[in-house]
Amino acid sequence: MELVVDKVVKKYEEMIAVNELSFSVSEGEIFALLGPNGAGKSSIIRMLTGFTHADEGRISVNIDGTYHPSIPSHELGYLPEDRGLYPEKSLLKNILYFAQLNGMEKQSALSATDSWLDRFELIDRKDDPLKSLSKGNQQKVQLITAVIHQPRWVILDEPFSGLDPVNQEKVVTFLSELTAQGMSVILSAHQMAMIEKLAARILLMNKGKAVFYGKLADFRSKQEANAKISVTFVQSIAPELQSSIPDNVEHQWLKDNKLSLSISAQFTINQLLNLLPSIGEVSDIQSQQMDLHQLYLQAIEEQGASTHA
Amino acid sequence: MHKNTFRQVRLVTAWEFMHFFKWKQEVISKLIMLAIAAVVFVWQTVKDDKEPMYWIGVVSESSNIAIPNSTGPFEFEPAPGALDSLIEQLEDDALYDAIIEVKVGALGKHEVKIHSSEKTEWLITLQQTVTQYYAQLYAQQLGLQQEQLSLLSEPVLFEQSYTDDNVKEDENESSLTAIGMAFLLMAGVFTSFAQIFASITGEKQQRVTEQLYSCISAQTWIDGKIFGNLLHGLKAMLTMSISGILGYTFIRVVIAGEPLSFDFIDWSMLPWLIVFALAGLYFCTAFMAAIAAAIDDPNHSAKTSLMLLPLLPVILTMMTMGNPSGLAFTFLSYFPLTAFAAMPIKMSLIEVAIWEPLLALSLILLLCYWIRGSAGRLFKMGMIMYGKEPTLKDMVKWAFKGN
Repeated sequence: MELVVDKVVKKYEEMIAVNELSFSVSEGEIFALLGPNGAGKSSIIRMLTGFTHADEGRISVNIDGTYHPSIPSHELGYLPEDRGLYPEKSLLKNILYFAQLNGMEKQSALSATDSWLDRFELIDRKDDPLKSLSKGNQQKVQLITAVIHQPRWVILDEPFSGLDPVNQEKVVTFLSELTAQGMSVILSAHQMAMIEKLAARILLMNKGKAVFYGKLADFRSKQEANAKISVTFVQSIAPELQSSIPDNVEHQWLKDNKLSLSISAQFTINQLLNLLPSIGEVSDIQSQQMDLHQLYLQAIEEQGASTHA
Repeated sequence: MHKNTFRQVRLVTAWEFMHFFKWKQEVISKLIMLAIAAVVFVWQTVKDDKEPMYWIGVVSESSNIAIPNSTGPFEFEPAPGALDSLIEQLEDDALYDAIIEVKVGALGKHEVKIHSSEKTEWLITLQQTVTQYYAQLYAQQLGLQQEQLSLLSEPVLFEQSYTDDNVKEDENESSLTAIGMAFLLMAGVFTSFAQIFASITGEKQQRVTEQLYSCISAQTWIDGKIFGNLLHGLKAMLTMSISGILGYTFIRVVIAGEPLSFDFIDWSMLPWLIVFALAGLYFCTAFMAAIAAAIDDPNHSAKTSLMLLPLLPVILTMMTMGNPSGLAFTFLSYFPLTAFAAMPIKMSLIEVAIWEPLLALSLILLLCYWIRGSAGRLFKMGMIMYGKEPTLKDMVKWAFKGN
């Protein structure tokens, strides 16, 4: 079971929402789509669900040897970004309705509903109208409707929005369990800490194009190769020595004895270590460790700069 | 239809119907109806038991002028005293309920002025009683018998004969049945219209559509919507019919004390009327589904005015039914947008060959199939536009071609 997106283009009138994008997702994998608003994540998701079709390129979903142009609805569990249920109806009726629409028999849907509500600590409220729940709890109900029928492909657009940290952790656990059962999960989210816990591979997008596609660890290595280094000297450095840092290196003297600079392919850590003794005696060198969120912002900034260049 | 699709349509239909169907409200509304009937019955009984009598004082300029005989609830007698003082006494709820002032005018015609303290319902009956009395008086003066008098009041008995063999000689029952069904259909159409509009635009506002669309196709969703809300329209027609029959029975049997009879219904036409009503209701509901599917925000959309369009067939039918064999009505009775209203009326007014309603019905069914598909396409395209409402040009394009 595999999903392949090959050089897909999607245009809305004159605007290119997705531009020659390629990636693949395998069985049992959690794959993250990352990118700022307007990057094209929702356009990709809507093509995967079959809501819209690619103008160019190809989407192929292999299920038991049969290839589909999008994920078939009976194999799909979907949590849309633009979401909602029937606020006047009870939790039970809402979940039961979607479970049955997704092909479950009433009896098995009823027992599965109880089991899921119990797991999300909502069993005592199953007959309450949905609107009486907090936004976070409504989000849990929505999540249940997306997966209750045990689809083989699950697409979750912003599954963590509206959830407190405790419930975010619960969703992380829950998604890990889904993949353990063989479900493949494609998720789009802005909570980088959650992505870091869940996804092995990512596709970082900006303005319809891929900024990075691959393993999360590779992304981290690639971005950290451009890490910021902070150097503290024992004594103040004279201005003529301060100017010995090459002009093409992004740097800043924070104090007379404190330097911050960026490492890159053009100016490697080895070159820095060779240069430092000629400037002064070093008392401390620190690499400014960036979390995924910072790496993400950095990558987007770099891509923006290269586009404008 | 695929088995799974059929199941999904059934689920959406049931959900739609039960979404707006409230047992408690249904029971309460029927209880209120029964309570109203009980009040009417009690009022009628009390009214019948205490039939009021009205004393009418007659003031005439001459003793030669005849005073009406006491009849029904009215007791007439010559009123003694001056007219002004009698009129003043009316205010004090005195001896008389009304004073009639009778004069004989030119050509011996009686002129009657009625004085009363206030405007009440029985004054009209009084006027009719007095008129009837003087009509009989004139007849007697002319030496006319009762039969001759009725001959004068109804001098001609008309009988119409047409060279067009298709025109029904006696179409009262069938036309009454057809017009009755047309009114029921309007009630059904308005109900299903309101429900499907609220249902589709409501789901869009509640943002349920994308979640639904991931489970079922746009066409399945719209089919379920149409059937669910069509059931609401049928329910409205059915409850209205039952209420009408019960009301008629109540008035005829309980109040008027007459035996129950449904002579005014043309039973032979009823199956045709039901089939046309069903097709018309389906068409109108599917039409509304197509309009609502293209509306993003009902509070700010100019397209809500399109809701009135399906009323046009009924209005056009009413306007042209005076000449059921005419070109305009013949066209309307086959044209699929108007046939569901016009053909049943035509059938009630003139004899038609069996192929005529069958042809009209077939054309309506084809239109229903097309409008159902258009509604599905409009819903799908409207959803894909994500908040941007389609223009009328877009709607026409999608209705005919899809994406």
